[in-house]
Amino acid sequence: MNAFIDFIMGPMVWITFLIFILGLILKIVLILKDVNAREPYIYSYMTLKHSLRSIAAWSIPFFPKSTKQSPVFYGVSYIFHLLLFLVPIFLTAHIVLVNEAFQVSWIALDDSIADILTIMVGLGLVFFMIRRMMVPEVKYLTSCKDYLLILIVALPFITGFIAYHQFFLYRPMVIAHVISGEIMLILIPFSKFSHMIVAPLTRAYMGSEFGNVRHAKDW
Amino acid sequence: MKNKIIFLSFILFLLTAVVAFSNTELERLDNSDFQKPQRPGAVFEHDGHNEMAGIDDCNVCHHVYEGKKLVEDESSEDSSCADCHSLKAVVDNSITLELAYHKRCKNCHFEQNKGPVLCGECHIK
Repeated sequence: MNAFIDFIMGPMVWITFLIFILGLILKIVLILKDVNAREPYIYSYMTLKHSLRSIAAWSIPFFPKSTKQSPVFYGVSYIFHLLLFLVPIFLTAHIVLVNEAFQVSWIALDDSIADILTIMVGLGLVFFMIRRMMVPEVKYLTSCKDYLLILIVALPFITGFIAYHQFFLYRPMVIAHVISGEIMLILIPFSKFSHMIVAPLTRAYMGSEFGNVRHAKDW
Repeated sequence: MKNKIIFLSFILFLLTAVVAFSNTELERLDNSDFQKPQRPGAVFEHDGHNEMAGIDDCNVCHHVYEGKKLVEDESSEDSSCADCHSLKAVVDNSITLELAYHKRCKNCHFEQNKGPVLCGECHIK
Protein backbone atom coordinates (compact mmCIF):
# COMPACT_ATOMS: atom_id res chain seq x y z
CA MET A 1 0.00 0.00 0.00
CA ASN A 2 2.87 2.41 0.74
CA ALA A 3 4.12 1.87 -2.82
CA PHE A 4 0.74 3.07 -4.12
CA ILE A 5 0.78 6.10 -1.83
CA ASP A 6 4.35 6.80 -2.98
CA PHE A 7 3.10 6.74 -6.57
CA ILE A 8 0.11 9.07 -6.12
CA MET A 9 2.14 11.48 -3.98
CA GLY A 10 5.24 11.26 -6.19
CA PRO A 11 5.22 10.54 -9.95
CA MET A 12 1.48 11.19 -10.21
CA VAL A 13 1.95 14.74 -8.91
CA TRP A 14 4.52 15.36 -11.69
CA ILE A 15 2.17 13.86 -14.29
CA THR A 16 -0.71 15.99 -12.95
CA PHE A 17 1.19 19.28 -13.16
CA LEU A 18 2.55 18.35 -16.59
CA ILE A 19 -0.98 17.73 -17.95
CA PHE A 20 -2.25 20.85 -16.16
CA ILE A 21 0.39 23.19 -17.62
CA LEU A 22 0.69 21.60 -21.09
CA GLY A 23 -3.13 21.40 -21.22
CA LEU A 24 -3.43 25.13 -20.50
CA ILE A 25 -0.86 25.91 -23.21
CA LEU A 26 -2.77 23.66 -25.63
CA LYS A 27 -5.99 25.45 -24.68
CA ILE A 28 -4.50 28.85 -25.57
CA VAL A 29 -3.11 27.49 -28.86
CA LEU A 30 -6.52 26.04 -29.80
CA ILE A 31 -8.29 29.32 -28.98
CA LEU A 32 -5.81 31.30 -31.09
CA LYS A 33 -6.17 28.79 -33.96
CA ASP A 34 -9.94 29.15 -33.72
CA VAL A 35 -9.68 32.95 -33.82
CA ASN A 36 -7.33 32.73 -36.82
CA ALA A 37 -9.80 30.54 -38.67
CA ARG A 38 -12.91 32.59 -37.89
CA GLU A 39 -12.11 36.20 -37.09
CA PRO A 40 -8.42 37.12 -37.55
CA TYR A 41 -9.60 40.73 -38.00
CA ILE A 42 -9.74 41.19 -34.21
CA TYR A 43 -5.91 41.25 -34.04
CA SER A 44 -5.96 44.57 -35.89
CA TYR A 45 -7.45 46.33 -32.88
CA MET A 46 -6.17 44.18 -29.99
CA THR A 47 -3.71 46.18 -27.90
CA LEU A 48 -1.75 45.25 -24.79
CA LYS A 49 -2.70 48.53 -23.13
CA HIS A 50 -6.45 48.06 -23.49
CA SER A 51 -6.17 44.36 -22.65
CA LEU A 52 -4.30 44.93 -19.39
CA ARG A 53 -6.52 47.90 -18.53
CA SER A 54 -9.62 45.74 -18.71
CA ILE A 55 -8.04 42.82 -16.81
CA ALA A 56 -6.89 45.24 -14.09
CA ALA A 57 -10.30 46.94 -13.85
CA TRP A 58 -12.07 43.61 -13.50
CA SER A 59 -9.54 42.45 -10.88
CA ILE A 60 -10.55 45.20 -8.46
CA PRO A 61 -13.46 43.95 -6.31
CA PHE A 62 -16.72 45.83 -6.98
CA PHE A 63 -15.09 48.27 -9.41
CA PRO A 64 -16.99 47.18 -12.58
CA LYS A 65 -20.58 48.36 -12.65
CA SER A 66 -22.18 44.93 -13.12
CA THR A 67 -20.36 43.59 -10.04
CA LYS A 68 -22.05 46.32 -7.98
CA GLN A 69 -25.41 45.16 -9.27
CA SER A 70 -24.91 41.61 -7.90
CA PRO A 71 -22.91 42.27 -4.74
CA VAL A 72 -23.73 38.95 -3.04
CA PHE A 73 -22.73 36.78 -5.98
CA TYR A 74 -19.55 38.73 -6.72
CA GLY A 75 -18.68 39.01 -3.02
CA VAL A 76 -18.93 35.24 -2.53
CA SER A 77 -17.15 34.68 -5.83
CA TYR A 78 -14.18 36.92 -4.94
CA ILE A 79 -13.68 35.30 -1.53
CA PHE A 80 -14.17 31.79 -2.91
CA HIS A 81 -11.63 32.19 -5.70
CA LEU A 82 -9.11 33.79 -3.37
CA LEU A 83 -9.43 30.97 -0.83
CA LEU A 84 -9.41 28.30 -3.54
CA PHE A 85 -5.77 29.23 -4.18
CA LEU A 86 -4.77 30.57 -0.76
CA VAL A 87 -5.76 27.56 1.36
CA PRO A 88 -3.96 24.79 -0.58
CA ILE A 89 -0.85 26.88 -1.31
CA PHE A 90 -0.35 28.06 2.26
CA LEU A 91 -1.46 24.89 4.04
CA THR A 92 1.18 23.63 6.50
CA ALA A 93 0.79 19.97 5.46
CA HIS A 94 1.31 20.83 1.77
CA ILE A 95 4.36 23.00 2.50
CA VAL A 96 5.85 20.19 4.61
CA LEU A 97 5.55 17.83 1.64
CA VAL A 98 7.11 20.36 -0.77
CA ASN A 99 9.89 20.92 1.75
CA GLU A 100 10.55 17.18 1.95
CA ALA A 101 10.78 16.97 -1.85
CA PHE A 102 12.71 20.15 -2.70
CA GLN A 103 13.84 21.64 0.64
CA VAL A 104 11.92 24.79 -0.21
CA SER A 105 9.36 26.25 2.15
CA TRP A 106 7.34 29.40 2.69
CA ILE A 107 5.06 31.03 5.22
CA ALA A 108 2.17 28.80 6.31
CA LEU A 109 -1.35 29.38 7.57
CA ASP A 110 -2.10 28.27 11.09
CA ASP A 111 -3.93 24.92 10.89
CA SER A 112 -6.87 26.28 12.90
CA ILE A 113 -7.27 29.20 10.47
CA ALA A 114 -6.94 26.95 7.40
CA ASP A 115 -9.67 24.80 8.96
CA ILE A 116 -12.13 27.71 9.07
CA LEU A 117 -11.16 28.88 5.56
CA THR A 118 -11.80 25.34 4.25
CA ILE A 119 -15.34 25.50 5.63
CA MET A 120 -15.75 28.86 3.86
CA VAL A 121 -14.69 27.27 0.54
CA GLY A 122 -17.33 24.58 1.15
CA LEU A 123 -20.00 27.18 1.90
CA GLY A 124 -19.03 29.03 -1.28
CA LEU A 125 -19.59 25.84 -3.29
CA VAL A 126 -22.97 25.29 -1.60
CA PHE A 127 -23.87 28.86 -2.57
CA PHE A 128 -22.91 28.25 -6.22
CA MET A 129 -24.90 25.00 -6.21
CA ILE A 130 -28.05 26.62 -4.78
CA ARG A 131 -27.66 29.51 -7.22
CA ARG A 132 -27.63 27.06 -10.12
CA MET A 133 -30.83 25.50 -8.79
CA MET A 134 -32.69 28.71 -7.86
CA VAL A 135 -31.75 31.59 -10.19
CA PRO A 136 -33.85 31.08 -13.35
CA GLU A 137 -31.37 32.47 -15.90
CA VAL A 138 -28.55 30.38 -14.37
CA LYS A 139 -30.74 27.30 -14.01
CA TYR A 140 -31.55 27.52 -17.73
CA LEU A 141 -27.85 27.28 -18.57
CA THR A 142 -27.10 24.52 -16.05
CA SER A 143 -26.64 20.85 -16.90
CA CYS A 144 -25.62 17.82 -14.79
CA LYS A 145 -22.02 18.48 -15.78
CA ASP A 146 -22.03 21.75 -13.84
CA TYR A 147 -23.03 20.00 -10.61
CA LEU A 148 -20.36 17.39 -11.28
CA LEU A 149 -17.75 20.15 -11.59
CA ILE A 150 -18.88 21.64 -8.26
CA LEU A 151 -18.48 18.17 -6.72
CA ILE A 152 -15.00 17.80 -8.23
CA VAL A 153 -13.88 21.05 -6.57
CA ALA A 154 -15.60 20.12 -3.31
CA LEU A 155 -14.06 16.65 -2.98
CA PRO A 156 -10.43 17.61 -2.25
CA PHE A 157 -11.64 20.08 0.39
CA ILE A 158 -14.14 17.70 2.02
CA THR A 159 -11.70 14.76 2.12
CA GLY A 160 -8.89 17.04 3.31
CA PHE A 161 -11.11 18.38 6.10
CA ILE A 162 -12.17 14.89 7.26
CA ALA A 163 -8.60 13.59 7.06
CA TYR A 164 -7.18 16.55 8.99
CA HIS A 165 -9.63 15.97 11.82
CA GLN A 166 -9.02 12.22 11.64
CA PHE A 167 -12.76 11.63 11.92
CA PHE A 168 -12.80 8.22 10.20
CA LEU A 169 -11.11 6.05 7.53
CA TYR A 170 -7.91 8.09 7.71
CA ARG A 171 -5.80 6.33 5.09
CA PRO A 172 -8.56 5.96 2.43
CA MET A 173 -9.52 9.60 3.09
CA VAL A 174 -6.00 10.90 2.39
CA ILE A 175 -5.77 8.73 -0.73
CA ALA A 176 -9.14 10.11 -1.91
CA HIS A 177 -7.89 13.62 -1.07
CA VAL A 178 -4.74 13.27 -3.18
CA ILE A 179 -6.48 11.62 -6.14
CA SER A 180 -9.44 14.03 -6.18
CA GLY A 181 -7.04 16.98 -6.06
CA GLU A 182 -5.12 15.56 -9.00
CA ILE A 183 -8.33 14.95 -10.97
CA MET A 184 -9.37 18.58 -10.35
CA LEU A 185 -6.03 19.93 -11.62
CA ILE A 186 -6.00 17.62 -14.65
CA LEU A 187 -9.53 18.69 -15.59
CA ILE A 188 -8.80 22.44 -15.50
CA PRO A 189 -7.66 22.75 -19.15
CA PHE A 190 -10.37 20.41 -20.45
CA SER A 191 -13.48 21.75 -18.71
CA LYS A 192 -15.20 24.99 -17.71
CA PHE A 193 -12.40 25.31 -15.13
CA SER A 194 -10.39 26.63 -18.07
CA HIS A 195 -11.95 30.03 -17.30
CA MET A 196 -8.79 30.28 -15.20
CA ILE A 197 -7.00 31.14 -18.48
CA VAL A 198 -9.92 31.96 -20.80
CA ALA A 199 -11.39 34.71 -18.59
CA PRO A 200 -8.34 37.00 -18.94
CA LEU A 201 -8.35 36.37 -22.70
CA THR A 202 -12.03 37.35 -22.87
CA ARG A 203 -11.23 40.51 -20.93
CA ALA A 204 -8.34 41.28 -23.29
CA TYR A 205 -10.67 40.99 -26.27
CA MET A 206 -13.52 42.97 -24.69
CA GLY A 207 -11.13 45.61 -23.35
CA SER A 208 -9.62 46.08 -26.80
CA GLU A 209 -12.93 46.19 -28.62
CA PHE A 210 -14.45 48.67 -26.15
CA GLY A 211 -11.30 50.69 -25.60
CA ASN A 212 -9.79 50.79 -29.06
CA VAL A 213 -12.84 50.61 -31.35
CA ARG A 214 -15.76 52.14 -29.45
CA HIS A 215 -13.55 54.29 -27.22
CA ALA A 216 -15.58 53.26 -24.21
CA LYS A 217 -14.99 51.54 -20.92
CA ASP A 218 -15.88 47.86 -20.55
CA TRP A 219 -16.37 47.96 -16.80
CA MET B 1 -34.08 -8.30 40.18
CA LYS B 2 -30.91 -10.37 40.38
CA ASN B 3 -30.60 -10.32 36.59
CA LYS B 4 -31.04 -6.57 36.62
CA ILE B 5 -28.19 -6.14 39.13
CA ILE B 6 -25.91 -8.41 37.09
CA PHE B 7 -26.83 -6.52 33.92
CA LEU B 8 -26.21 -3.09 35.52
CA SER B 9 -22.89 -4.26 37.01
CA PHE B 10 -21.87 -5.44 33.58
CA ILE B 11 -22.71 -2.05 32.04
CA LEU B 12 -20.81 -0.29 34.84
CA PHE B 13 -17.83 -2.56 34.22
CA LEU B 14 -17.91 -1.78 30.50
CA LEU B 15 -18.13 1.96 31.16
CA THR B 16 -15.16 1.79 33.55
CA ALA B 17 -13.17 -0.12 30.95
CA VAL B 18 -13.98 2.41 28.21
CA VAL B 19 -13.01 5.36 30.42
CA ALA B 20 -9.86 3.61 31.61
CA PHE B 21 -8.65 2.72 28.13
CA SER B 22 -9.54 6.07 26.61
CA ASN B 23 -7.25 7.69 29.16
CA THR B 24 -4.28 5.56 28.13
CA GLU B 25 -1.62 7.97 26.93
CA LEU B 26 0.05 7.05 23.67
CA GLU B 27 3.82 7.05 23.75
CA ARG B 28 4.90 10.02 21.68
CA LEU B 29 8.12 11.65 20.56
CA ASP B 30 8.97 14.71 22.62
CA ASN B 31 8.21 17.72 20.41
CA SER B 32 9.18 20.37 22.97
CA ASP B 33 12.05 21.52 20.74
CA PHE B 34 9.51 22.96 18.29
CA GLN B 35 8.31 26.47 19.00
CA LYS B 36 4.72 26.25 17.83
CA PRO B 37 3.93 22.68 16.82
CA GLN B 38 0.80 22.41 14.67
CA ARG B 39 0.35 18.70 15.37
CA PRO B 40 0.77 16.50 18.46
CA GLY B 41 4.13 14.68 18.68
CA ALA B 42 4.43 11.53 16.56
CA VAL B 43 3.34 8.31 18.23
CA PHE B 44 6.45 6.17 18.59
CA GLU B 45 7.14 3.26 20.85
CA HIS B 46 10.91 2.83 20.57
CA ASP B 47 11.52 -0.77 21.69
CA GLY B 48 8.33 -2.19 20.19
CA HIS B 49 9.09 -0.52 16.86
CA ASN B 50 12.65 -1.82 16.67
CA GLU B 51 11.64 -5.32 17.63
CA MET B 52 8.94 -5.37 14.95
CA ALA B 53 11.21 -3.76 12.36
CA GLY B 54 14.17 -6.01 13.29
CA ILE B 55 16.48 -3.06 13.93
CA ASP B 56 19.39 -3.97 16.25
CA ASP B 57 21.94 -1.25 15.46
CA CYS B 58 21.32 2.12 17.11
CA ASN B 59 23.01 4.06 14.30
CA VAL B 60 20.37 3.08 11.76
CA CYS B 61 18.57 6.12 13.17
CA HIS B 62 21.05 7.66 15.64
CA HIS B 63 23.68 8.34 12.98
CA VAL B 64 26.81 10.47 13.11
CA TYR B 65 27.85 12.72 10.27
CA GLU B 66 31.15 14.51 9.88
CA GLY B 67 30.59 17.22 7.31
CA LYS B 68 28.52 15.47 4.65
CA LYS B 69 29.99 12.04 5.33
CA LEU B 70 28.29 9.37 7.38
CA VAL B 71 30.63 7.96 10.02
CA GLU B 72 30.08 4.22 9.99
CA ASP B 73 30.04 2.23 13.24
CA GLU B 74 29.46 5.33 15.32
CA SER B 75 26.18 6.21 16.92
CA SER B 76 24.68 9.23 18.63
CA GLU B 77 21.93 7.86 20.86
CA ASP B 78 23.26 9.81 23.85
CA SER B 79 22.67 13.16 22.14
CA SER B 80 19.43 14.83 21.12
CA CYS B 81 18.40 15.10 17.46
CA ALA B 82 18.13 18.86 17.96
CA ASP B 83 21.85 19.02 18.85
CA CYS B 84 22.65 18.75 15.13
CA HIS B 85 19.32 19.46 13.41
CA SER B 86 18.20 23.01 14.08
CA LEU B 87 14.74 24.48 13.50
CA LYS B 88 15.96 26.54 10.54
CA ALA B 89 18.38 25.27 7.90
CA VAL B 90 21.97 26.40 8.54
CA VAL B 91 25.09 26.22 6.39
CA ASP B 92 26.56 23.27 8.31
CA ASN B 93 23.34 21.28 8.23
CA SER B 94 20.55 21.94 5.77
CA ILE B 95 18.37 19.17 7.22
CA THR B 96 16.05 20.87 9.69
CA LEU B 97 14.77 19.05 12.76
CA GLU B 98 11.32 18.59 11.22
CA LEU B 99 12.79 17.31 7.96
CA ALA B 100 15.11 14.95 9.85
CA TYR B 101 12.21 13.37 11.73
CA HIS B 102 9.95 13.14 8.69
CA LYS B 103 12.58 11.74 6.32
CA ARG B 104 14.04 9.36 8.89
CA CYS B 105 10.66 7.68 9.38
CA LYS B 106 8.95 8.09 6.02
CA ASN B 107 11.84 7.21 3.72
CA CYS B 108 12.37 3.92 5.54
CA HIS B 109 8.64 3.15 5.60
CA PHE B 110 8.45 3.76 1.85
CA GLU B 111 11.55 1.63 1.22
CA GLN B 112 10.18 -1.20 3.36
CA ASN B 113 6.67 -0.67 1.93
CA LYS B 114 5.23 -0.84 5.44
CA GLY B 115 4.60 1.41 8.39
CA PRO B 116 2.86 4.79 8.59
CA VAL B 117 3.64 7.39 5.90
CA LEU B 118 0.72 9.86 6.08
CA CYS B 119 0.61 12.88 8.44
CA GLY B 120 -2.15 11.62 10.71
CA GLU B 121 -0.79 8.08 10.93
CA CYS B 122 1.98 9.31 13.27
CA HIS B 123 0.53 12.63 14.47
CA ILE B 124 -2.54 10.95 15.91
CA LYS B 125 -4.94 13.39 17.54
